[in-house]
Amino acid sequence: MNKKEKQGIFRGFVNYFKELGTAITKGDVYVKLSMIFMGAGYTGHKQLIKGLLATLVEIAFIVMCVVYAAPNLAKFGTLGTVEFKQELDPLTLQTTVNDYDNSFTILLHSMIALFLIFCFILFWIANIKTVYRLQLRHQNQDIPGNHINTFGEDVKDMLGKKFHITMLALPTLGVILMNIIPILVLVAIAFTNYDQNHMPPNQLFTWVGFSNFGNLFANSITVSFSYAFRKILGWTLLWAVLATVTTFIGGILLAMLINKETTKVKKLWRTLFVVSIAVPQFVTLLLVRYFFADDGIVNAICNNIGFTGFLKDIGLVGKSLNYIPFLSEEHWTKFMIIVINIWVGVPYQMLIATGVLMNIPVDQVESARLDGATKFQVFTKIMMPYILFIQGPALITDFVKNINNFNVIYLLTNNSYVTPDQAMANAHGKEVDLLVTWLFRLTNEYSNYKMASVIGIIVFIICAVFTILSFTRMIGGGREEDYQ
Amino acid sequence: MRKATKKLAVTMAAALMVSTVSLTGCGGADSNGGGSSAGGSSAGSASSSSVASSGSSEQKAEDPVQNLIKATTETVKLNVWVSEQDQEFAQGLIDSFKAKYPDVTFDITLGAKSEADAKDGVLADVEAAPDVYSFADDQILELVNGGALQEIANTYTYDVKGENLPGSVEAATINGKLYAYPRTADNGYFMYYDKSIFSESDVESLDQMIAVAKEKKKKIGMMVSNAWYLYSFFKGAGLNVDLNEDGVTNSCTWNQAGGTDVAQAIIDLGKSGVFVDVKEDADIPAGVKDGTFAAVVSGVWNADALEKTMKENYAATKLPTFTCGGEQKQMSSFAGFKMMGVNPYSKFVGWAMIFSEFYTNADNQIAAFEAKGIGPANIEAANSEEVKKTPAIAALAKQAAYAVPQRVGANYWDPANTLGKTLISGNPKGTDLQKLLDNAVEGMTAPVK
Repeated sequence: MNKKEKQGIFRGFVNYFKELGTAITKGDVYVKLSMIFMGAGYTGHKQLIKGLLATLVEIAFIVMCVVYAAPNLAKFGTLGTVEFKQELDPLTLQTTVNDYDNSFTILLHSMIALFLIFCFILFWIANIKTVYRLQLRHQNQDIPGNHINTFGEDVKDMLGKKFHITMLALPTLGVILMNIIPILVLVAIAFTNYDQNHMPPNQLFTWVGFSNFGNLFANSITVSFSYAFRKILGWTLLWAVLATVTTFIGGILLAMLINKETTKVKKLWRTLFVVSIAVPQFVTLLLVRYFFADDGIVNAICNNIGFTGFLKDIGLVGKSLNYIPFLSEEHWTKFMIIVINIWVGVPYQMLIATGVLMNIPVDQVESARLDGATKFQVFTKIMMPYILFIQGPALITDFVKNINNFNVIYLLTNNSYVTPDQAMANAHGKEVDLLVTWLFRLTNEYSNYKMASVIGIIVFIICAVFTILSFTRMIGGGREEDYQ
Repeated sequence: MRKATKKLAVTMAAALMVSTVSLTGCGGADSNGGGSSAGGSSAGSASSSSVASSGSSEQKAEDPVQNLIKATTETVKLNVWVSEQDQEFAQGLIDSFKAKYPDVTFDITLGAKSEADAKDGVLADVEAAPDVYSFADDQILELVNGGALQEIANTYTYDVKGENLPGSVEAATINGKLYAYPRTADNGYFMYYDKSIFSESDVESLDQMIAVAKEKKKKIGMMVSNAWYLYSFFKGAGLNVDLNEDGVTNSCTWNQAGGTDVAQAIIDLGKSGVFVDVKEDADIPAGVKDGTFAAVVSGVWNADALEKTMKENYAATKLPTFTCGGEQKQMSSFAGFKMMGVNPYSKFVGWAMIFSEFYTNADNQIAAFEAKGIGPANIEAANSEEVKKTPAIAALAKQAAYAVPQRVGANYWDPANTLGKTLISGNPKGTDLQKLLDNAVEGMTAPVK
């Protein structure tokens, strides 16, 4: 983000409230009335249906506040005080349950309520501004372009000139429901003590401030939590870089190989690689995991042809082992995970690279050849920059995806890989864990939701920082002109 | 919204109760204390008296089951979770349960969830979890802490505490309160072996087995880098991991006197070359099939597969003894049970309890053994000749004398896995054994924050 943009955002923010100020100070009686009765402004300017709609929204909001928001927000400060209590009458076998608080539902509904209130405030401000605009139009009625729309005309506009707004409404609503509210709840949980000792609905949890974040960097949650966090973070980043780079380069090389004039039956090769995409990833990975198990088929073959013995001699396999610890020793496992990921990921990259390679300007390549450039020079000076430019955004997405690449790591190492590092084990981590797989096991096996939320936030920050940095570096700065 | 309906349900239930109590109140006052009236402590003896009456036409006002039937006007909706393999069997039981109480309309739905990770599904949202579910007893602590198990203060159709094996009742009891209905007693581990390789006296001690295995070029497999199995060595030598009173954290004596002897014993076993660490359960039948293993430590879940591969050489017995600090120590084990639990958030707790009792009563445990080969927890069923003839279940019974119900908190597992891996692979970094144990114990006993 450059300076100009930053200033733009800031100025926009200021203008937003400045406009509101002007609307309120300079507004006529309708504007002032619409601060309390939201439909008043429209009604005053003869937009009866809109006035009715605005009033309905206001009524709905008030009802929501009383029925939904108020009871939940009242408990938001404590997240509930009444524990679940149930009694079973042994004579009638009927139960009585008290009116208990569920901290999690209180938190969830409070978040939704706060969000709705926030939306309403935005709507309220927009409403005042619109009414003020109506007033201006009304005052300048005689100047053309200041016609006040009827409701029918507005609807027509929404389906015609302003169709983009109508079109965007649904996706925006989806993003809010599926992403924003869960993220808000996740963020909130990071500030509570929601864990296996405080499991709603049976027990209550409450706010604890920043102490969970403190625990992440201090060895107090389990004896070695911060140690595990640092190690896992390091491997996560290394993995994301290696996984992205290897599949990217592998994909390009494979695509070029298939694209070569001398390669025959190109379609067959391409299809063969694409078929591997068609098989669900987890099936492939589980199969591969059995192939490479300590007593799996690959080890049996290596043993028979004497490869295991050779690796033992050069010291890559421990003397006491009679198998290659493909998925049971730290460095071997990391190596294998990356290799297997190349195999799983290259076909996708090949498809993309094929598309890009087909569109490389032939004239540039030919003129370079005429000027005496070697094939290697053509590759590094023309093809690579072109591919990098086109695929830059996709690469960043891949990188972020790899930071969160749950499947490959979890399916290959869950239950079979045991960490030899006691400090790691004490924090329920493994050397080969990514932050996201560690997070999964903390929540799923240890119900440690609060720390999982903290890790989730950290992962989010990492992803966000990398995305912003690389987008501005790779695409910003007007580099588009380079390729014109 | 949800809260409002809940409130309504509560008031309705309360109103119902008042009416039923007042109805039964006058008829009651039986001098011998009313078959199964309140009072948690007398549950065991009190309950058996009501067994007969539930079937008979004679209706006593004190009989809670009859009261329940009378009070039930709406359709009883129960959601039940049992494992994938038990679906058909469970459906049969549901049908006979419905037939047993013809006056009540039931809507019982069956879901499939493995007992091994039932807690993950239940604790994710207890309020929406099934009314009745089957689970392995290793999860009982987390389930009780999460409030997902109804305390069983009284029983109504049979005496759960008295009719089931004491070990299974102990496993279902936390802080003196019974929380589940034992259903099977077959979820622990013991040893399978090949009769053609080892004699009955060989399998008494691990040393002898190793000597024989070396001679015959066979191996003995055990999942040592798995905390669940590693326990058998340390407990066998008299060292403990126990759950603290908070129900979450552990106390552990593995790093005290004798600990290093056990550690050294496991290292020595690993160095023998024939006693090997098995990484995954699936490797056990596979290893036996390809002829690598002549003996494995495992449980009944592998019985069918192993019987098929070993055929007439198939045998099973208790775990052997191992040499620790120059002495022979009998390997211990975790005793494992499967149980039925009732969700206290159920709308029909009463019926859920009656259903669980029905599912786990003597007749149905025998039926389960006959249909699925499940080792019963019911004393009468467990002592039947049929059950005793099954090698795997007989071996479990033999091991039962050395088995302990699993009472460890969540922090035990990962540190102990790693300790097992380090020891069986011969302590590759050469860490001082005492230090190794200290580190592991630090992790196992870490506070949960």
